[in-house]
Amino acid sequence: MAEIGRISIRLPSSIKQGDVIRVRSSVVHPMELVQRDKQGTIIRKNYNFIEAMSVTYNGKGVMRAETTQAVSQNPIFTFLLKVDRPGKLTVNFADTTGKTYEGNAEIKFT
Amino acid sequence: MAIADLVKTKLMISRRVFLRAVMGLIGVAASAGDVATNTYAWAQAGLSGLPLPDEAVDATLKRLFGNRSFQRGDDKIKVELPQIAEDGGNVAITIDSSLPVSGAAHVNHIYIISDKNRRPMIAKFSFTPESGKALVATQIRLATSTDVRAIAEMNDGTLYAVSKPVRVTISGCDLPPQG
Repeated sequence: MAEIGRISIRLPSSIKQGDVIRVRSSVVHPMELVQRDKQGTIIRKNYNFIEAMSVTYNGKGVMRAETTQAVSQNPIFTFLLKVDRPGKLTVNFADTTGKTYEGNAEIKFT
Repeated sequence: MAIADLVKTKLMISRRVFLRAVMGLIGVAASAGDVATNTYAWAQAGLSGLPLPDEAVDATLKRLFGNRSFQRGDDKIKVELPQIAEDGGNVAITIDSSLPVSGAAHVNHIYIISDKNRRPMIAKFSFTPESGKALVATQIRLATSTDVRAIAEMNDGTLYAVSKPVRVTISGCDLPPQG
C-alpha cells in the first residue's frame, strides 16, 4: 500500500463567487479494524486509522473532524465550502501513527 | 513526559487524544503488577491507536454530553442512509442540517453515533462560518442492524438528535479471528 495517504479532491465544474460548493475529498487509508484472537480477546497493538481531519481555505478553518475506526476504509468526506474569493483549499488528515497527509486544490471562478 | 510530548506532536490536541493519554496513565498505573504485558503494550503503542474498551451507547452519550437532554431534531437535521445496507463496512451517510453555521445561534458540532457498534462513537464534525452550511457525507462501518443517531450540538449547548434505523446484512466490524 505504497499509496497510503493519496488524497483526491473533487470540485464542481463551475464555481461562481459567493457560491456554497460541495467538495468531495477521499484519502487512501486502511483504517485498520480491531483484531481479535480465537478467544475473542482484543489483540493489543497500535491500530493505524485516521483520527483527525481538518480543512482550511486560504488559511482559515472550514471544517474539522474527529474520526474513529468506525469510518470505512479509503474514506470519502463531503463537505461544503463558502467561496467569496479564489484561493487554495487544503485538506489534512492525521492518523494514529503520527503521519499527516495533505491534499490541495486551487479554486478559481469561472 | 512521553505522553506530554505525544500530545504536543499531534495535529490537533483533541479531547479524545487527551482522554486517551489520561486513560493510558490509568492503564499503566492499574497494571503495575502486570508489567510484562500491559505496561509494555501501553508504552509501545503511542497510545492513540490502542483499542479502547467496549462501551454501551448510553455510556457514550453520557461521556460526550453529560446529563443534557436531547431535543427532537427531525425538522432540523436530515439523515440520508440506506434502509438496507448490504455491506456494513461501507455505509454511505449524509447529514444535511438546516441549522445555521454562523450568527447568534449556530451549530458547532455534529456527531454520528451508532447504537450497536462496540464503540458507538463514529465521527464528530465541527463547522465554522466558512462552511456555509452544515452538511457532511461520509462512509461508515456498522456492526449490525442498528439505529444511527446524528446529534447536532449548538453553541449554547442545545442538542438536537435524530435517529434512523438501518438493516445491515454483513457486519462491517468483524474480522476473522487472528492466530
